[in-house]
Amino acid sequence: MTKARRIFTLLLRLLALGATLAATIIMVTSHDSAEVLNLTFEAKYSNESTFKYFVIAEAVASGYSLIVLFISSKSLLRHLVMILDVVITTLLSSSVSAAMAIAHVGKKGNSHTGWLPICGQVHKFCNQVTGALIAGFIAAIIYLVLLLYTLHTVYI
Amino acid sequence: MALETERKTEAIFISTPAQKQKDRILLLLRLVAFLATASATIVMALNKQTNTLVVATVGNNPIKASLTAKFQHTPAFVFFVVANVMASFHNLLILLLEIVGHKIDYKGLRLAIIAILDMLIVVLAAAGDGAALFMAELGKNGNSHARWNKICDKFQTFCDHGSGALIASFIGLILLLIINIISIAKLFNPKSYNTI
Repeated sequence: MTKARRIFTLLLRLLALGATLAATIIMVTSHDSAEVLNLTFEAKYSNESTFKYFVIAEAVASGYSLIVLFISSKSLLRHLVMILDVVITTLLSSSVSAAMAIAHVGKKGNSHTGWLPICGQVHKFCNQVTGALIAGFIAAIIYLVLLLYTLHTVYI
Repeated sequence: MALETERKTEAIFISTPAQKQKDRILLLLRLVAFLATASATIVMALNKQTNTLVVATVGNNPIKASLTAKFQHTPAFVFFVVANVMASFHNLLILLLEIVGHKIDYKGLRLAIIAILDMLIVVLAAAGDGAALFMAELGKNGNSHARWNKICDKFQTFCDHGSGALIASFIGLILLLIINIISIAKLFNPKSYNTI
């Protein structure tokens, strides 16, 4: 691979590392509490299994990005890296999609099942979750672009 | 020399009996994946349950109210159906391409195009599955912190059909992932080169 392509791939991987790390950190630090009718209403990311899955998936992806940064493009492991890239992209996309589905219920509620939206009471939590979701979405897109770019430069 | 600059390298794949056997196994896997995603789509698209309950009694006549649970009520399930429709359509198309159009090629890029399309569909199907799985988990267990009640105790058939569709879709997703990895591994070392 020429030097320009290698630098571009490295840049994409760094961006992906940044995005996944940001998504993990923003989601983990999301925390808010509100008082409604003398009941304290506490909202944390760990109250919801979907957000826990999101944090775990993004943490795994950021750890993977960090490790892969140190594997040069000529080593024998590059085939394994390509396959693991596909698996990690799948994981990221499923975690973002699941978190978005539950966050949509939290923001708009669901009139058919009688689930009330909670974003009116805990604004800070909702905003931080939205920020984490945006970062996760960007990470998934960067990984997809990286995958297609790697395939294009190395094999086509 | 001008001839060398115009030389184009094209990879062709020798079909030995071992290779033909592997191709047939791949075809079988893709057929099972197509059946799995198609059945997931159909089961979830026809997922509907109506419960009638007596709300009040006026004189001798009970007033009934009916509550329906449909898959369209949740955007997660709608996305699930759409993603699985696209996945099954893709599987069918590639199946037909492999069975009928064995010679169709585009500058030697046939395998690469199939691999790229497979990658995109795997990502899409994974997104649909993830969203539907966690929405179903929310419907089954509720969320006490957000005061969201579970709905599976009232709509048992709806939940059962939804779980069945989810399982089928996950089987399709895993098979599609395996097929994709095998296709990418095939790209790593083509069997021979042909220079024109």
